[in-house]
Amino acid sequence: MSRLEAKKPPLFISEPLTRDTLSQSLSLLSGILKSCYGPAGRLKHLHNGVGGYVCTTSQSSAILGHLSVSHPVLRVLMASVQNHISRFSDCGLFTAILCCSLIENFKSLNIASCTVIKISKHLLSLCMDYLKSEACGCRVSVDFSSVETLLCLVRSVLTSKPACMLNKPEVDHLTMLILKAFMFTIPCCVETNAVLGKCLIVPVKGRRVVDSTVLPGLLIETTEIQLAEPLTIKRTCSSMIKIALFSVSMSGDLFNPEEGTITVHHGISLEMSELNQLLNVGKQLINDEVGLVVCQKVIHPSLKQYLKENHVITVDRAGLSLMEPMSRMTGSKPIASIRSLSPGCYGSLKDVCIESFASKHFVHLIPNDTVVCSLMLCNRNETAWDELKRICETAEHVLQLTIKEPLALLGGGCTETHLASYIRQKSYSLSTSSFKEIDCSRTQYQLVADGFCRSLESVACSLNHDDGEILTDMFYGHCWFVPSGFSSVSNWSDVVSKCGCGINGNTENLNWRLLQGQFGCPIAQGCPKEPSVKFADFLTLDCFAAKCNGLQVALETANLILDLSYVIEDQN
Amino acid sequence: MAFRDVNARRHIGLQQLSSVALAGRTLLGPMKSCKFIVDESTNQSTLIGSAVRLIESLDLTSAAGQLLNETIQAQNKEFKTGLSTLFFLIGAWSNAVLECLQQNIPVSAIVSVMSEGLNSCCERVQCLQIPIHDVNKELCCSSVRPNTFKSKTCQLGHDSLLNPQVFLYFHKDISAPEEVIPISSCSYQEDDCNSNKWLVSPLAGFDSIDSLVKPVGDKSTSVISGSGVTTSSCNKLTHSRYFSTLGKSHFSSQQGNFQGYLSGHSVDPCECYGLGHLAMALSHGNQASVKLLQSIVVYQQERAECSGSSQFNIAEIVTCCLLGLPESYSCVSPGFVTLVSSEQAAVIKHFKDKPIRILLMDGDLTEQYRHLGFNRLCNVRTILEHPSLWEGRAGDLWLSSMLDILINFEVNLVLVKGNVCKNLMERCIANSILVIGFVTRNVLRAFGEVTSAQPVTYLTQLNASCVGSGVQVELWKACDGRAMDLGELVPVRIKVQGIPLLTAVLTTAVASKMQLIEDQFWTLVYRLHHALNDKNVFLGGGAVELLCLSHIQMLAEQPLQLANKNAVKEFHNPWLAASVTEYKSVVLQALASGWKQYLSVVMCNTAKAASELEACTTVDHHLKKAADCGSPSAYILKEFRRGGLLRGGSGPFADQREGLKVYDNVTAKTEAWRRALDLVLLVLQTDAEIITGPKRNQLLNSHMSRTFCI
Repeated sequence: MSRLEAKKPPLFISEPLTRDTLSQSLSLLSGILKSCYGPAGRLKHLHNGVGGYVCTTSQSSAILGHLSVSHPVLRVLMASVQNHISRFSDCGLFTAILCCSLIENFKSLNIASCTVIKISKHLLSLCMDYLKSEACGCRVSVDFSSVETLLCLVRSVLTSKPACMLNKPEVDHLTMLILKAFMFTIPCCVETNAVLGKCLIVPVKGRRVVDSTVLPGLLIETTEIQLAEPLTIKRTCSSMIKIALFSVSMSGDLFNPEEGTITVHHGISLEMSELNQLLNVGKQLINDEVGLVVCQKVIHPSLKQYLKENHVITVDRAGLSLMEPMSRMTGSKPIASIRSLSPGCYGSLKDVCIESFASKHFVHLIPNDTVVCSLMLCNRNETAWDELKRICETAEHVLQLTIKEPLALLGGGCTETHLASYIRQKSYSLSTSSFKEIDCSRTQYQLVADGFCRSLESVACSLNHDDGEILTDMFYGHCWFVPSGFSSVSNWSDVVSKCGCGINGNTENLNWRLLQGQFGCPIAQGCPKEPSVKFADFLTLDCFAAKCNGLQVALETANLILDLSYVIEDQN
Repeated sequence: MAFRDVNARRHIGLQQLSSVALAGRTLLGPMKSCKFIVDESTNQSTLIGSAVRLIESLDLTSAAGQLLNETIQAQNKEFKTGLSTLFFLIGAWSNAVLECLQQNIPVSAIVSVMSEGLNSCCERVQCLQIPIHDVNKELCCSSVRPNTFKSKTCQLGHDSLLNPQVFLYFHKDISAPEEVIPISSCSYQEDDCNSNKWLVSPLAGFDSIDSLVKPVGDKSTSVISGSGVTTSSCNKLTHSRYFSTLGKSHFSSQQGNFQGYLSGHSVDPCECYGLGHLAMALSHGNQASVKLLQSIVVYQQERAECSGSSQFNIAEIVTCCLLGLPESYSCVSPGFVTLVSSEQAAVIKHFKDKPIRILLMDGDLTEQYRHLGFNRLCNVRTILEHPSLWEGRAGDLWLSSMLDILINFEVNLVLVKGNVCKNLMERCIANSILVIGFVTRNVLRAFGEVTSAQPVTYLTQLNASCVGSGVQVELWKACDGRAMDLGELVPVRIKVQGIPLLTAVLTTAVASKMQLIEDQFWTLVYRLHHALNDKNVFLGGGAVELLCLSHIQMLAEQPLQLANKNAVKEFHNPWLAASVTEYKSVVLQALASGWKQYLSVVMCNTAKAASELEACTTVDHHLKKAADCGSPSAYILKEFRRGGLLRGGSGPFADQREGLKVYDNVTAKTEAWRRALDLVLLVLQTDAEIITGPKRNQLLNSHMSRTFCI
């Protein structure tokens, strides 16, 4: 007998943005994210409260992944930020903070949301046009013929997350390694559509960061007792090593049919017949002069023994993540069935050797052409290693994005304040016809533009976590930091030393003003200037593509949320 | 999801760290006091003597506690030593950082100054490293051939470590540098982080000395001669303990003697005992383990001479714990000693004159066992068409076929990595086959190498080439030649001609001490292992910590302007640099307080000082003298030579103990510092916990202040 229960009616919430719960949750979320931002950001312990692994992080990808938010509006926000992170890795916190800040600022304006949206879209297009123009004063071009800018870019990414617990020599060491690893992944001979190779991160936890290293080719961890050095490897006539790569399990078990039963006669062993099949594969491998057999999963010990007796090296449990790069590196096709073995599926390797590293043993596969490399990444403890791994992946991704579009934005809050200063100036000099086009008044436009600029500036302000002041100058529109205890100083030039990105020094009087808390911001005379020095020693740089996309995502998400008039919640 | 704000002026995480670490105070230093950990619910108790066992016995569910556990485990996994240092410093630095927070110092300033400070200290103390070779020579000679040694120290500038004063005064005469690090050039690693202030090209100075001293065979230059330097250095050296008993005539009469040794630099009369002495110096008072380790070293060195293998191989050492024998029965036996049941031991009698054939298995020896990664089919039904009574149960079939295989290949001894089927074990005993389970990988590998047996996973894999031979099995006999019967279990010894494996048989009559003894033994083994890996050791007995303290004093007094200039450069980053300089000296003092407490607690634990206050006074006294001396490292070296560091003045026993030098591991120590500070700074920088999972509701109901839910 089935029992039917009446469905509950859906919950209908109108004007979700005006509710108190949303603004409280939004400001809490924004507070969490702001507190994480930048090299001096505060960390969060993510854990389940009953003991077990604790993730200590200030990265948006980890935090957003662990936050379970109930409010649908916030879920929209988080989903679009996470989508940005999955595509660009970098600038997740920037996007999220800017989005929260835009919502808060726009909500407080007493202007119809459709007008706000129109104006903000116009502002975004102004920003994007400016960022993409040659005249842009907050971007630098990245010269791939020298390492300096690239090193700055990688270093900025590495130092932005304090939970990695890196000191200066360690940052320098890792910066070099990441760049080296990236260089390995660039193919030597570029055809029409070049594809970058891959850098795989090999975990070595418990070691010093400076023990990290990059090796060309692939490393597969092995615990085998029988791997004795020196390896004697069977080579083909061209002194290459023939490799067979299996993606199918060779452990000798039958695939599980999930349901139904198999009936066998007494005395027949399925295991034995399966093993015989495997041994036949082994025989063919030996006939085909294969020198190395790599299996993604497990190889049956009897097959291993048989192959070993015939001087074939076996490596099993390579893992799924190694398969694609290994197939690419060796030119072999992963074998998915032990019943058919075509000679065309073998690949070749230049050399194989054993690397011992911190009580771990690795089989090192050395290819002819290195587009695949392994970064042995060390850090002292688990939580710091995990953070470091995420940040290294981000740095690699940033380099990949930068090679596509060789530009970088000034970091340390300077791009935000510069852009805000540019928009402020621009919004005052906009012609009347533009307002007609958008269908708004000049006042409305300026109010929204002010909200937009304050949102951008609040991102820059989030870099400051201790008491102190944030300044901006009226000349370059850069961001400057004054430590606490100096707020009563009459002349700012006595206390500032360098701007956030490090490009401008305190050499001339740049007419500083406080960034926060003032409503009537003075408008700079003319557009903010491009810094006279194009390059300093240690610049803080941000990924151009990631930040541009972050800016767009933040604004579009904020617009989407502002446009919400109802939330309908299914309560069943 | 719940969100908890932890950061107030009194940081909860840091308080947790400091209170947990307080429990580790008595575990610090050579005189540890063990602790009983009592479980109130079951009334069971455990005796612990190390930080890692302490942390294992505690139930730490807070985030900071978990991270503390993780940090301790990581250090243990990597080094097996430096744990109580790590544990103590976590607590001390947590307290120091809490005090900084009380004074409203910004977090970023604490973080950057402390980590830079530690970095600078780690570089600074590199000058207290001594190459193993020099240590060996010194330790060896000081105990075996004291006279030879004494003359050597005076004249051989090459061994500059042994007479720092020679260099110091010599150098002063020439260039009057602010500080010279007297150390032999081979171990000389100057830090250049702060070198601009006090480094006056000591390398050049060393070169000149080397050139003076090197031609040892030449009599005219064998003594640093021709200048006033000789006399001044020799006069100074009379204060050194090596010369305190040495008459002038004695000194000259030895001259001819020692030159014979030196002409061949590698000819060292007691190299073979060198590691033994080093082991002693690293033991920090752990007498029982030292004797075992020394005999291991002797065995392995003899082997190394024959085969050219490495001097000390940790993978060839195993332990066997025998409960119920007095501790004096502890010894080292070549081969593999393990406990077997008395039934198994009975099998050995049958082995008497037979050549024994050995089989190694790298899995379990049970019917159900399959290699890792094998997925069992669960839905197979077997049909038996012609049942016959004489065919036994399937299990019996497996037993008898396995036994057949073993008998066919004439296997007498099976070493199994995992579990062994009980029935098979009985059948094997009945057939005089000895099967031993739970044998570690290292043991299997050692037997594999010597007997050329190939480890197999299944007995069905067996072929003739897998079986090794030439093994001897006997009952293990204690030093008095008696075989032992410890109730149910009997120790047996399995050996092969030429096997590198050594078993340290650890005995005690007190059950709760067993773990303690084993831990202590391994700690010492790993200390020697790391010392050889590092190729250097630190001066022990607080020398390194003392130099850190004096170095921090110097850093803190560094003029503000200079610091200011360096700040931006050091941190690359205006965001970090700005607020740093203002608070530098306060934060550095906080860093220093960790080491100061460390020293004073060690002194209290070893009864070198009656109270921490007294200990602190002694430390301050040394610091002042070191500062006055102009070269803190030279002062520390000198005091270390005299054995006067942290000995609470020159007591009546000072002279008797001078043969006992103490050394420390380099990497293990500096890594312990770094890990401790990393953890404290990690927790310091955390301002919130985000709690996922079921605990969150409970947390929200607990009315804890500053807990939120999104």
